Amino acid sequence: MTVLAWRLGILVAILAVWEVAVRPLNPIFYVPPSALPGALVRMWRVPELPALGEHVWLTFTEIAGAYALAVAAGLWLGFLLGLRRTVGRIYEPLLAALYAVPSVIWYPSLMLFFGLGPASKIAFGVLLGFFPIVLSVLAGIRQVPATLVTVARSMGARPWTVFRKVMLPAMASTMVGGLRAGLALSVVGVLVGEILGSRAGVGYVINYAYGLMMTREYAVLALIAAAAILAVDTVGALVEARVKRWAG
Amino acid sequence: MPGGTTPPTPPIVLEAIGKRYETTSGAVQAVDSVSLTVRAEEFVTLLGPSGCGKSTVLGMIAGLVRPDAGRVLVDGTPCDGPNPDKVALVFQDGGLFPWRTALDNVTFGLELRGVPAAKRREIARGLLEPMGLRGFEKKYPRELSGGMRQRVAIARALALDTPILLMDEPFGALDEQTRLLMGEWLVGIRRRARKAVVFVTHSLHEAIALSDRIVVMTARPGRIKDVIDVTLPFPRDLNAPEVTDLRAKLWEQVREESLKAMGNPP
Repeated sequence: MTVLAWRLGILVAILAVWEVAVRPLNPIFYVPPSALPGALVRMWRVPELPALGEHVWLTFTEIAGAYALAVAAGLWLGFLLGLRRTVGRIYEPLLAALYAVPSVIWYPSLMLFFGLGPASKIAFGVLLGFFPIVLSVLAGIRQVPATLVTVARSMGARPWTVFRKVMLPAMASTMVGGLRAGLALSVVGVLVGEILGSRAGVGYVINYAYGLMMTREYAVLALIAAAAILAVDTVGALVEARVKRWAG
Repeated sequence: MPGGTTPPTPPIVLEAIGKRYETTSGAVQAVDSVSLTVRAEEFVTLLGPSGCGKSTVLGMIAGLVRPDAGRVLVDGTPCDGPNPDKVALVFQDGGLFPWRTALDNVTFGLELRGVPAAKRREIARGLLEPMGLRGFEKKYPRELSGGMRQRVAIARALALDTPILLMDEPFGALDEQTRLLMGEWLVGIRRRARKAVVFVTHSLHEAIALSDRIVVMTARPGRIKDVIDVTLPFPRDLNAPEVTDLRAKLWEQVREESLKAMGNPP
C-alpha cells in the first residue's frame, strides 16, 4: 500500500515538474501533460481516418497473429533442430548468423512480398518474435540434465514420456523467457512495420500524427502504446516468475 | 542333477562383459571381461579408483549401457534395455526432479507403471515416513538437505519394489558425517528390504560397513582384481581388529590401482 502511494506520488511529481518545465518552451516540441487528454479526444475521431478503436483492434489482431505464428514456427524449428542432432548441427550456425543481422533490413522485401496491408506487419512480427523462441528452445534442450533423462529411462519411460515428463519441465524456465522476449519483439515488429509503411493500425496513426507535426497527438499515442506494451510485459514477467518458481 | 533341487536363479549374472568407448582421443576400454554372480539378497560392493568402470558395470546391469562383449543376465534373462520391474537405480547426485515435490519424486516410477494416484501416494508416504521424512512430503528437492534428498532418491528406487537395487555412489556428494550416518541407516533398511544390492563406491569405510562381498576393481580397463567375502555380523564395529585388518588389506589393493589411475606419480 505504501509502495503504491509512493509510486503514485512520484508519478504526480514527475507530471508536475514536466508541466512547469515545458510551459515557457515551444509547444510544438515540448508537449505539456495537460495537453494530452485533449489530444487523445481529437485523435479518437479524425475525420479522414477510421475511429481509433478500429486501429487498436487491427494492431492487436496483427500482434496476436504474428505471435501465434512466431510461437508455432519457433517451437517447431527449435525442437526439430534441438532433437535431431545432425539437422541441428547443419542449421544452427545459420540461424545464429541470421539472428545477428538487424531484422529491419528485411522489411522492404517483406513489403514487396506481402504488400502494404496487415500481412507484411504480421510477417515482420513473426520474423522478430521467432528468433528468441527458437534459441530458447535450443538452449533449453541443451540444459536438460542428462541424469534426469537417465533416471526416467531406467524406470522404463519411453521417448515421448521422457519428453513430456522430463524435458519439457526441465526446459520450462528457459523456454518461458524466450516466449516472453518473443512476445515483446512481435509487438515491436508489428508496430515498426506499421510505422514504416501502412494504411491502418496504431503505428500508422502514430506516424500520421507525427507527419502532420501534431506532436501532442503523437505524444499521447506513443505513451498509450508504451503503457499497453508495459502491461503485457508485466503479465509476461509474472507468468515467467511463476514458471521459474515451479521448475526450480 | 541327481538327487538335488534346481538351484535358484541368481538375480544378476555377468558373463565376461566388456565395454569400449570411442572418444576423440581414441578408443577407451572402460570395462574388460568382468564376470560376477550376485546372489539373492546379497549386498555386493564394487570398489575401485575413479574412472575404473564401476558405473559402466552398473549401467550395463541396469540396461542403460549395452555391453559390446559378454552378456548380462537379470533373473536368468539376457538384459536388453531398462527393466523397471526387476531393477531400480539410485544415482550419485540423487537425480531428483526439481519441479516435483519429495512425494511426487517418489511416485514417479509408479506413475509410469500406471498405478492409480491414491495408491501411489500411499506407497510413497509409507516409504518416506520411516526414513524420517514425515512432514517433508510437499517440499521441493531444493528445500531439503543433501542427506534428505538422497533418502528421497532411495525411496523413489524402493517404490518400484524390485528384487534388485543398484546404487551408484549414492552418498558420494555428502559430507563425511552425513555419509557415515546414511551408511548406518542403509544397514538398517537393507535387512528388511531383502534385495540384491550392487553398490558402487570408492569409500573403504562404506564398503566394509555395508557389504557381504567386496569386489575390488582395477584401474582402466576395469577388471576384477579381487573378491573379498565379509562375514562380520551387522551392525559392524568399524574399530574392531578384524575390520582394521580388512581395511588395511583393501587399502593396499585400492592404493595400487589408484596410483595406476593417477599415472604412477613418483
